[in-house]
Amino acid sequence: MIKHKALLQCRVCGCLSHAPTQLKRFEVMHCPRCGARVKLAQQSTSVEVTWALLIAAAILYIPANLLPIMSVYMLGAGQPDTIITGVYHLLEAGQWPLALIVFVASIVVPLLKLFTLSFLLISIQRRSRWRQYDRMRLYRITEYVGRWSMVDVFVIAILTGLVQFGNLARVDANLGSLSFAAVVVLTMFAARTLDEHLIWDIAQQEEAQA
Amino acid sequence: MPEVESIACQECGQLHRYHAIAPGKTANCSRCGAVLYRNRPGMLDSVLALTLAGLTLFVLTNVFPLLGLRAQGAEQELHLLGASLAFWDQGYPVVAGLIVLNIIVFPVFELLTLLMVVLTIRYRWKPSMAIFLFRWMREFKPWGMLEVFMLGVLVAVVKLGDLATLIVGAAFWSFAGLILTMTAATALLDPFSVWRALEKNND
Repeated sequence: MIKHKALLQCRVCGCLSHAPTQLKRFEVMHCPRCGARVKLAQQSTSVEVTWALLIAAAILYIPANLLPIMSVYMLGAGQPDTIITGVYHLLEAGQWPLALIVFVASIVVPLLKLFTLSFLLISIQRRSRWRQYDRMRLYRITEYVGRWSMVDVFVIAILTGLVQFGNLARVDANLGSLSFAAVVVLTMFAARTLDEHLIWDIAQQEEAQA
Repeated sequence: MPEVESIACQECGQLHRYHAIAPGKTANCSRCGAVLYRNRPGMLDSVLALTLAGLTLFVLTNVFPLLGLRAQGAEQELHLLGASLAFWDQGYPVVAGLIVLNIIVFPVFELLTLLMVVLTIRYRWKPSMAIFLFRWMREFKPWGMLEVFMLGVLVAVVKLGDLATLIVGAAFWSFAGLILTMTAATALLDPFSVWRALEKNND
């Protein structure tokens, strides 16, 4: 949603509509074309909601990395793996391209996402006009890359589904995978609730005042 | 509606005036360079073909096994649904539900919505249902994760490589085809043209 001389843009379909001259408290405006909710600038809770989701994700990031995500049992002997030891085992086996994929998707991307979204929120709250175009690009990349973190959850699902040979060989999922899936979901919601047009709105508001 | 003539960039909000462009051409935002709209003759037919192919491939992907594993005489097969529900058997129903949404529900929803949208425009049906579905398809788009799951399959295949004899099932290939058709449909589809066409059905 943007504010452009009382013109509003729907975030879902892009349709422009006129802002109502008066909006009662708790009154909700819907896009005339697709019916999605269009929020007015003064109704925006984007910054607060995104912070809440980010903080929740940051808290869950700790058990996601400390708890084991899965256990591999071979001939009765079990071996629980956290994300990091999983990467280490891949390196040990000489499969460094795979280790790199898992490391980037499961550790680098969620961590970068937490930092990038916090940085964008702080810059919006400080009404920064610094490199707006680059900050919008940064947001787009963050939003797009986030879903790839699910790859480790899928790997655990495939391994536990496929390797069930009783005492001979078995793969079980552990609690860390639940925390990790929660981190991915929360950061995806956080990227979604962050209204990237706020990056541009500051300049426009100041131009309008000048 | 006078608003139709003015359009705003979906990326940065810059205002532009809509004007018709030649077939095959693309209109870009003057500020950030994002695509505003395209003129692609035959877009609807291509999307229709890809959607029907996608639905067929999805059925095949579910019928045949994705992967098989042979160890010490015992054999284990994994279907797409089995992979989705593996967490369920392990006592994590929420994660299982998430995976079912990611690789079954949202991709199917996207395919059926595209089918509905293309047919609505083509046969000039009343657009309210298509508009409703298309809106939610756009909102759910990031949650469909076929290509991420495929990367997961590849990682699992390499991991299991030296552990036991791995059999790549028929569904593996139809799944790869499904990803290609859905990526092609997404790349071809111009949302601006779809919204405009749906709107015109109302007149």
